[in-house]
Amino acid sequence: MKISLFATCLSDAFFPRVSEAMARLLARYGIRLTFPEGQTCCGQPAFNSGYWVEAKEAARRLIDAFRDSDYVIAPSGSCISMIHHHYPALFRDDPAELRMARELAEKSYEFSQFLVGVLGVSDVGARFPHRVTYHPSCHGSRLLGVKDEPLTLLSHVRDLDFVPLPFAEDCCGFGGTFAVKMADISAAMVTEKADHVRETEAEVLVGLDMGCLMNIGGRMRHRGQAVRVMHLAELLYEGVRMADERA
Amino acid sequence: MSGHNPTSTLAERVRIALNNDFLRNAVRFTTERLRTNKQAAAEQIGNWEEWRERGRQIRLHTIAHLDYYLAQFAENLRRAGGYVHFASTAEEAVAITLQIMAAKQAKSVVKSKSMVSEEVHINQALEEQGIETVETDLGEYIIQLAGETPSHIIIPAIHKNKAQVAELFSEVAGEPLPADTAVLAAFARSKLRGKFLEADIGMTGCNFAIAESGSIVLFSNEGNARMVSTVPRTQITMMGMERILPSWEDLEVMATLLPRSATGQKLTVYMSAINGPRRTADGDGPDELHVIIIDNGRSRQLGDPEFQEVLNCIRCGACLNACPVYRHIGGHAYGWVYSGPIGAVLTPVLNEEKEKWAEVANASTLCGACYEACPVKIPLHDMLVYIRRRNVEEGRTKRTERLGMKTYKVAVSSHRFYQLALKLGRIGQKPLVRDGQIPTRLGPLKGWNNVRTAPALAERSFRESWQALERELQQEMAEMSPQVKARLEELAGKRGDRHEQ
Amino acid sequence: MNNERNPIIERLHRQSLQQQEAFLDHIAHRLGRERITTPPARPFAGAPDFWRGFTLEAEERISLFLSNWESLGGVAKRVRSMDDARAYIADLTDRMQAKRLVCEEHPLLADLLPEGDKEREVTVWGGGDPAHLLKKAAEADIGVAVADFAIAYTGTLVLTSSPARGRSISLLPAVFIGIVRAADIRTKMGEVLSVIRTWDGGRMPAGIHFVTGPSRSADIENDLTIGVHGPGSVHALVVDEVDGR
Repeated sequence: MKISLFATCLSDAFFPRVSEAMARLLARYGIRLTFPEGQTCCGQPAFNSGYWVEAKEAARRLIDAFRDSDYVIAPSGSCISMIHHHYPALFRDDPAELRMARELAEKSYEFSQFLVGVLGVSDVGARFPHRVTYHPSCHGSRLLGVKDEPLTLLSHVRDLDFVPLPFAEDCCGFGGTFAVKMADISAAMVTEKADHVRETEAEVLVGLDMGCLMNIGGRMRHRGQAVRVMHLAELLYEGVRMADERA
Repeated sequence: MSGHNPTSTLAERVRIALNNDFLRNAVRFTTERLRTNKQAAAEQIGNWEEWRERGRQIRLHTIAHLDYYLAQFAENLRRAGGYVHFASTAEEAVAITLQIMAAKQAKSVVKSKSMVSEEVHINQALEEQGIETVETDLGEYIIQLAGETPSHIIIPAIHKNKAQVAELFSEVAGEPLPADTAVLAAFARSKLRGKFLEADIGMTGCNFAIAESGSIVLFSNEGNARMVSTVPRTQITMMGMERILPSWEDLEVMATLLPRSATGQKLTVYMSAINGPRRTADGDGPDELHVIIIDNGRSRQLGDPEFQEVLNCIRCGACLNACPVYRHIGGHAYGWVYSGPIGAVLTPVLNEEKEKWAEVANASTLCGACYEACPVKIPLHDMLVYIRRRNVEEGRTKRTERLGMKTYKVAVSSHRFYQLALKLGRIGQKPLVRDGQIPTRLGPLKGWNNVRTAPALAERSFRESWQALERELQQEMAEMSPQVKARLEELAGKRGDRHEQ
Repeated sequence: MNNERNPIIERLHRQSLQQQEAFLDHIAHRLGRERITTPPARPFAGAPDFWRGFTLEAEERISLFLSNWESLGGVAKRVRSMDDARAYIADLTDRMQAKRLVCEEHPLLADLLPEGDKEREVTVWGGGDPAHLLKKAAEADIGVAVADFAIAYTGTLVLTSSPARGRSISLLPAVFIGIVRAADIRTKMGEVLSVIRTWDGGRMPAGIHFVTGPSRSADIENDLTIGVHGPGSVHALVVDEVDGR
């Protein structure tokens, strides 16, 4: 059984701690991840901007890198939804590539989706004594349908004070290249999102996608809003360590 | 002001909108209320997904057989004594309307809300002929007085406040009116009542046309669509060619989806089916009924697998209310008749000036809220990507962006190039990094860093630390439970089966 | 109504017949096939099955209709007989000090107000000069008509137009009173639409109006306003027993 980690370019280049936390947490369930070196990016930045030729280049590397994996796990609902939702469109004109794209989609999972849906874990045994709010990223929740899994996992964390985010399902304004091309609108959106986080008085903002978290976190840091931004894998791993220490 | 043929760029229009606090508050307040109401209405009837799916199926079927149903509609309406005209372009629609006006020697027109009539700019054409044209939907009346265009499909004056309305109405009244909704609405009622009773022609849009009986169906809350189709002697209805439904029973599905999605109502106050001109002995209703079926760019979507479904749209506005971009910039920033996600798709696909409207499709984060809200499940978020792809293929993008994407392509084409890019990036960012962040507002980071702080590339990428981590993990690796093992094998096994089938 | 065609309209009509063929051919061409001239098969039509099966008992229909109409801001009353309905109308007329009524020509509505009432004018729709009828309806304080159906689930009165029942009656006066027989209340819209479907050819009325509460608008700052163009005060009377009909 070959279970592979797809770090995603954002976590690989900017937030290695996220993939690390995920690998460490999964090791507690005997999941021995592999890291196929050929992986780069899912292709989404190019795809969403309309550059499908460029996106295909990235997608082919990914398909190739995970060809002999049985499972592919990524700390991103967005990148996994790219594979599930958009690869079929990208390769629709080539039956052979389309088949390979579908094979990859079938075995690819977002982190919480894998933990809850495949491993059947809802309680990782964590303890996290903080006030936490959660931002459901659009692609993971809408395109991939990962809505309940993160909430299930968070609801089982000891001492965690969960406070729902107002208008949680509204986009944070990241949108990949949108944040650069339509910087003004993006700024207005992320400011509103940061306002909503402030309303919750949470110490920690948790999510499943580093793109969105980098956006919201960058906005909060810029205006001096002291909220810790964490990927769910980081929170859970830190939480199990905390629980271990206490035990 | 906000015409349908703006000379400004999208970015300029966006900036104007973002600096208009009243507009942003008003749009936020109203769209939030509408989407909350919609949510409640969908839950109230229950099985919403089944209704949506049925709505989608009916629309897909209708568009796939559009020629048949339009012919059937025309035949039945003519049999009931109505006239049916076909206009391939906006110009043809205007020409037909003006001929009817000439035949009736019309001096005045009362109109109820019609988005397709905005597309063909009929008001301007009528005014040029010296024919008084009065919009009678309260919201449309307000923006007509202001010399503007609708900024929302169902709430045209969503961007106006009471004080602005009072100012506009006071000018018409010739005396100051207070900024009180009841007083303002009463003024409009009595003012427009006179217009209804005097007008030569009533013009309506068409929410749905029913092929099997040649009927047109109008949804309204105020009753102006009823007025326009009851009082004047001649009625002209403009209808986008996709507005058709095969049968009366399909209307139940649309009457369930449209009002609930638009405002959260179970049904609009009035749903009126007009089945030809008045019968000979009837005491009211138009003597003559003309329906103009308009293409204006719609047929280009037929047979195009990426865009045919956009013709399924029932113009409820739910995607606008759900859209986080619309919520911040309102409707006028989109520049044309339709705004929000549906506008970002319709504007570049219905218009022939591709260059001019290319960038509108960029006004979306592709968050998918529009698709989720759409009562007939139009994949607007996918269509926006298709438009962007055509912009790329047909050379309508910026050179800097193309260069950037070329670089991206090289970087992702092999993990060696990718790693090299990371290394170069780390060297490049060195002088700029402060505490793991890059606070500069120079170069490509300007837009981002105006309101945010960008993170720096990690000192060691994940892949660079993997080997060490892997060794470490081998030490602490737990035993896999039999249940987990079985589950992993079971799921992987099922996939194999499916492939063989 | 097209007996005497204006020459411009006549020319336009002939031009439209020609244009229609090119227009529809173009659609078929875009769809990549020949024109379709026979009715397409309909694997899906109308409401989903679960909804078709949904139906309420007579008493439930009546109470649901009444409560829906009231929650929309209308007045709903259940009365035993037409005598009671007439009494309600007379009382409302008194309370409002209404001077003019317009009502459809209907046996149930004969002698709507007590005989010898010189204070009030009742215009009965039915025949006569359209311009005169329109004027009377526009001046009237109250309009009264009998609905063909009511729909319980949405709180809707269904009014067809006819020589005896002008559309203006339920539209122009500030107050509208709609009378519906309890037996004519259906659970949902589909049951009414399936009857309308059978009114083919000459039997189809020119206008069918589904009225669901008072006229309203939220176009100014999303502030709900009642009675914008249509009646702001709407009364639905559900009559249990209708003598001799």
